[in-house]
Amino acid sequence: MTRTQRNHIDLPTLIVVLTLMVLSLGVVYSASATWAMEKFGESNRLLNLHALRVLLGLVVLFVGMTIDYKRFKKLTKPVVIAAVVLLGVTLVLGGEVKGAARWLRFGGLSLQPSEFAKFALLFHLCTLISTKGEAIRDLKKGFLPMMIWIGSVAGLVLVQPNFSTGGMIILISMVMLFLSRARFLHLAATVAAALPLLVGIALTHPHVMQRISSFINGTSSTGRPSYQLLQGIIGFGNGGLFGVGLGESKQRDFFLPESYGDFVFSIVGEEYGFIGTMFFLALFLVLMLRGFKIAKFARDNFGRLLALGISSAITLYALVNAGVTLGVLPTTGLPMPFVSYGGSSLLFTSFAVGVLLNISAQTDMHPRAAKIPEQTSAAPPHEQKTVRVY
Amino acid sequence: MMLKKDPIVPPASTAGPQPDAVQLPKGRLIALKLAFALFFVLIAGRLVEVQILEAAKYQALARRQYEQTHALPAVRGAIYDRYGNVLVSNSMHISFAADPVMVGEHADRVAGRFSRVFGKPRSFYLAKLRSTTASGSLRRFVWLERRVHPELGQHLEPSGLSGIVLVDEAKRLYHYDDVAGTLVGFTDIDNKGISGLELQFEEYLRGKDGSIVMLRDGLGRPRPSVDYPRKEPRDGYHLTLTIDLAYQAIVEEELKRGVAVNKADAGLAVMLNPKTGEILALANVPGLNPNKLSSYDVSSARNRVVTDVFEPGSVFKAVTASAAYEHHLVSPEKRFYAERGKYKAPLAGSKFRLITDSHAYDWLTFQEAIEVSSNIVMAKVGPTIGAERLYRQARDFGFGIPTGVDLPGEVRGRLKKPFEWSGTTLQTLAYGYEVAVTPLQIASAYAAVANSGVLMKPYVVARVQNNEGEVILEQRPQRIRRVISSETATLLTRAFEGVVERGTALDARIEGVCVAGKTGTARQVINGKYGEGHYTASFVGYFPAADPQVVCLVMLDKPRARGYYGGLTSAPVFRAIAERIVNTTGRFTKTPQPREHSQPENGISVPDVRTLQVMIATKILEGQELKGQMIGTGDIVVRQIPDPGKRLEAGDVVQLVLNGTEANVAGGRAAVPDVRGMSLRRAINRLVVSNFDVQVRGSGVVVEQVPAAGQNVHAGATIHLVCEPRTLLSAALY
Repeated sequence: MTRTQRNHIDLPTLIVVLTLMVLSLGVVYSASATWAMEKFGESNRLLNLHALRVLLGLVVLFVGMTIDYKRFKKLTKPVVIAAVVLLGVTLVLGGEVKGAARWLRFGGLSLQPSEFAKFALLFHLCTLISTKGEAIRDLKKGFLPMMIWIGSVAGLVLVQPNFSTGGMIILISMVMLFLSRARFLHLAATVAAALPLLVGIALTHPHVMQRISSFINGTSSTGRPSYQLLQGIIGFGNGGLFGVGLGESKQRDFFLPESYGDFVFSIVGEEYGFIGTMFFLALFLVLMLRGFKIAKFARDNFGRLLALGISSAITLYALVNAGVTLGVLPTTGLPMPFVSYGGSSLLFTSFAVGVLLNISAQTDMHPRAAKIPEQTSAAPPHEQKTVRVY
Repeated sequence: MMLKKDPIVPPASTAGPQPDAVQLPKGRLIALKLAFALFFVLIAGRLVEVQILEAAKYQALARRQYEQTHALPAVRGAIYDRYGNVLVSNSMHISFAADPVMVGEHADRVAGRFSRVFGKPRSFYLAKLRSTTASGSLRRFVWLERRVHPELGQHLEPSGLSGIVLVDEAKRLYHYDDVAGTLVGFTDIDNKGISGLELQFEEYLRGKDGSIVMLRDGLGRPRPSVDYPRKEPRDGYHLTLTIDLAYQAIVEEELKRGVAVNKADAGLAVMLNPKTGEILALANVPGLNPNKLSSYDVSSARNRVVTDVFEPGSVFKAVTASAAYEHHLVSPEKRFYAERGKYKAPLAGSKFRLITDSHAYDWLTFQEAIEVSSNIVMAKVGPTIGAERLYRQARDFGFGIPTGVDLPGEVRGRLKKPFEWSGTTLQTLAYGYEVAVTPLQIASAYAAVANSGVLMKPYVVARVQNNEGEVILEQRPQRIRRVISSETATLLTRAFEGVVERGTALDARIEGVCVAGKTGTARQVINGKYGEGHYTASFVGYFPAADPQVVCLVMLDKPRARGYYGGLTSAPVFRAIAERIVNTTGRFTKTPQPREHSQPENGISVPDVRTLQVMIATKILEGQELKGQMIGTGDIVVRQIPDPGKRLEAGDVVQLVLNGTEANVAGGRAAVPDVRGMSLRRAINRLVVSNFDVQVRGSGVVVEQVPAAGQNVHAGATIHLVCEPRTLLSAALY
């Protein structure tokens, strides 16, 4: 195939993502300046690294945009197998971060295989659901094979241990199964089976229990939330309606730990206020709605599922991250897509948005003004249904 | 050819190239959308709660975290004498505090470094650095060292001592050590006045601390901030006293000597200007050196001139005589039979009370009775006056009523009302018993006599001024009442002159100046009984008798060496004070004026500045337009050339030989001077001048010193002194 991009991409999606990326430069700079100054002696050290990743993200986004998403359908199986292998390797060789083997390093590069595995699994589930058809309602033929993939990827991430990402993988997978025609009974049974397992894992890992109990205490009237959470909420509150202004954050001055990472949304809240947080929230809302619209117009079930899965995953990440920083969810180490400082997440999410844009370009949402007769001849006959030229 | 676009065809409805056999369930998609919508609403709602509804709460929390208010301490006001000589000011010291949380695991290192510099054990600092609050968490603020010399702080390399705070603190500096110590009082470690004028005028002296808001980060470190307002401190106000530093120094010096010579337990003296009520000098022995508080008994901080009461004894006869003269009941020439020293005063029924005089007389005129202080005659006059008149006279003089002086802790004394009197009160009160008075009440009463019968309110603070010199508070002489007519006052003064000329206070006579005064010797009540050998010996006098400028009361507590009579013990102290004041200033003939005061034409009388601190001596000489030239080192004048009383021209030089001789300092080593036989005070002065530390055992006169005199020891070494109470001989030599 020579051309995949028949029509225009969905510009609102691109604009939203570009806006998030550009704003993230300011937010990450504000949030990290004090820390970077202390650690490296230059306040823009993390900003530079982040800018580099944003550029890389743009490249990846463009790559994802130009590859015909349908070509992934045949690749998802080997890729998800590769992801599982990679997770296994990470488990054995991985660099320890806060007591968890999450990173793989190649020379200067470090990669979080769980981020990769997350999207690999999502893509493969889309393949499976779209090809199985009615068989999805069959336990042995449809449901169990998917559960095996979900189980192996999520399981390997959970044992790193990385409960947040593992949990999100399970959550997104459940969303995908839910959107398939999988039986409720199967879904309910899966949840029923998984719950005791998750509780067991939580009970055997003190830091998980601590976070959960801290969450429960924090929401009660007498308890005290954890220090980081309290500082995060103080950041939001200190911003008030209009925020303290760009670069005026006080919480970043070592009050809020990892202010540029998972808790960056708090700095958004502090510097830009309620107006700012609502604006960021609105961006993610728009991203989700555009994703759902692209799904609606997608040419096939694979594209439809991919569009739904990608937009859901990104939105879910944003909402869960916001919920964590605001103390309505237990503390988990999840980044806010595009906004938080952090490489792996940014790169894979950018690629996923590229894929989303590619799907959008193959719909009739934004048709090109048909003007070139050659295009008709150039277009493969089987795609003539997209644009008809008389 | 026309181009036409096809309407959008839903892919599911049209068979695609890879037609998906199965449609996705629409209902579940809607459910997912709903779930997301709920999630969005939840987050938005929480944002409304945190950022709008509860914003103020979190903003306050944030501010409490990142704002730190530092006090900008106000400088405590200075205290000056009436001529502007600084008595009390401040010196800067540094203090070290720590935030134990920030010091954290470096506690060991910090404690070690402090221990090396300040010489206290590491455990001392470690205990502070690890002290916890009631809830068990580490404290955020502890003092490690307070008020140390700035130089010591330089030995602490500040690098790497995170969590250590350096605070500049002002420390009170009392320029003349124990001179006026009990009057001025002292402050606590936080510079809050807790005794004397420091306490009484705390509100004025303290000033108002300012503040500066500093931003800090999560690690407690300050961050630069520009737009935070700075509230400037308002420095404390300065006090100008009515005290005359020269008089004060002389009174203190002579009183100290008097207490030593007479082997008294204690002594006090107060000097007033009778025309104004200004307190010119006020001294207590044992005194108090506010610069070295730990070395004094706390009880000596009391200013007993106003806080303690005594039975006055014969000095109270002024009241009896006043009442007798005022009501024309007795003339000075009226003769009384003095019962040959033993008078059985009749009481109710067949009882009587024995009243004795120290000397036996047959007949005395009333004035003679005052001069020789006959208890018997006074007891006989008592009933003539009557209870009501005697009581009223005493009360008019101010007995039983606080004088209202601006000093803390003043008591009113006790003057019983006539209905409380027993059968003997009228007689015993007439010669000064059954009444409790403060020394200041006595001095004030005699000042009223000296002031032609008008009682003035005594006061010690003339002005309170701010840094710019504006007067915040001013006290002017305040007339309380006319106590007696000027005729009565004249008669009394004539009698009091007789006391000094012919009576009980011959020792108070001084050359060329007519002194009027009265002695008092009161038995003290010990364990509820008038004890044998426990006396309060006093003399109160004023001069020149024709136009009194100075009233001075000297009281000695339990003098033992030369007998117990006020005339033999306190009167000589009064004389010494008066003589030196006459020699020193020549001001006494006029109302005290600032130093611009012109001198008599026939030259300047050289003041007696011996045994005074150099600074005071120099100031006194300056006041007489003379120059002091110091010979040797030290801080006490031991000899002066020319001698006191010689005449000099303005600008002439008086040589002052100081107590210390040149310390033989070579290579950081110095020869130990010989201080044996010196008074402890002199010895300490001598040694401190040569930078030695002193440790003392006992009190009085130095009898032994280690290392011995002449030995070479390193500078700053500690010299141990052994002292014994001074003998009469050594005291006299001093």
